[in-house]
Amino acid sequence: MKPISDMTLGELAAYACTHLKSKGINVVLSGGACVSIYTTNRYQSFDLDFIENIASGRKKIKEVLQEIGFSEEHRYFKHPETEFFIEFPPGPLSIGDEPVMETVTKEFSTGQLRLISPTDCVKDRLAAYYHWNDRQSLDQALLVAESNDIDLKEVERWSAKEGRSREFSAVRELFVKKQKSE
Amino acid sequence: MLESLLGSINRERVLLFLHARNEGYAREIARFFKTDLDPIQKQLERLEFGNVIYSRNAGKTRVYSLSPRYPFLAELKALLDKALSFYSAEEREGLVMVRQRPRRKGKPL
Repeated sequence: MKPISDMTLGELAAYACTHLKSKGINVVLSGGACVSIYTTNRYQSFDLDFIENIASGRKKIKEVLQEIGFSEEHRYFKHPETEFFIEFPPGPLSIGDEPVMETVTKEFSTGQLRLISPTDCVKDRLAAYYHWNDRQSLDQALLVAESNDIDLKEVERWSAKEGRSREFSAVRELFVKKQKSE
Repeated sequence: MLESLLGSINRERVLLFLHARNEGYAREIARFFKTDLDPIQKQLERLEFGNVIYSRNAGKTRVYSLSPRYPFLAELKALLDKALSFYSAEEREGLVMVRQRPRRKGKPL
């Protein structure tokens, strides 16, 4: 096994995800770490947001992560050999007020990683753009669209459900261009 | 009213206040309910950690609101609306009515 100090974000996420699963804790990676993975680190995140739909409890998670060298510091789990850290935001796994129905599994040399799909990753970033008016989140969504197939009809449907049709219309062409340049 | 469901009277107060006024800060909420600041701050922190509310800085004050990204926001608001409907007209007015329009600095009245 590769030492933790040499693992990329994706490799570490897969390693932790696989270890957690082996102990009955099923998690899905969400948030900025997925942007890193889908853009091969053109956007670099350091926090791994794992979401669990049915909570196992902090105590159990702490014990399981201790087995692979992570210790709890405030609300995060850190490892002495890496800058990346793990967080467990409260569930459910959702984008806006909709549950995430399908996830993606990616293989790494360190294990299997379950994460949200590129389309859901774009929706997740757009949610931040819509609600916080955060331009960086829009840029991250566009980066993901540049190197992954995105279901723009689905993004459009979801944006309308969020009451953000006008906002999506304003940026739709940017996504179409990124998909063409893929 | 929702204490047994939410597990804390101060959590109920925080949520009702933020729903009724759209935003608020810890001292303002504590003052309104004539309660200590510390338990209100604790509930604000817990609710923020749970992504139910979010905060932003306004000068030196941390201002909180219900999070538009909370997946149960519509249902939570419906519950809080129902709870507010049990308040007397006077209580509800006290919670909801607050001066929103600007007031020039130094104006005598």
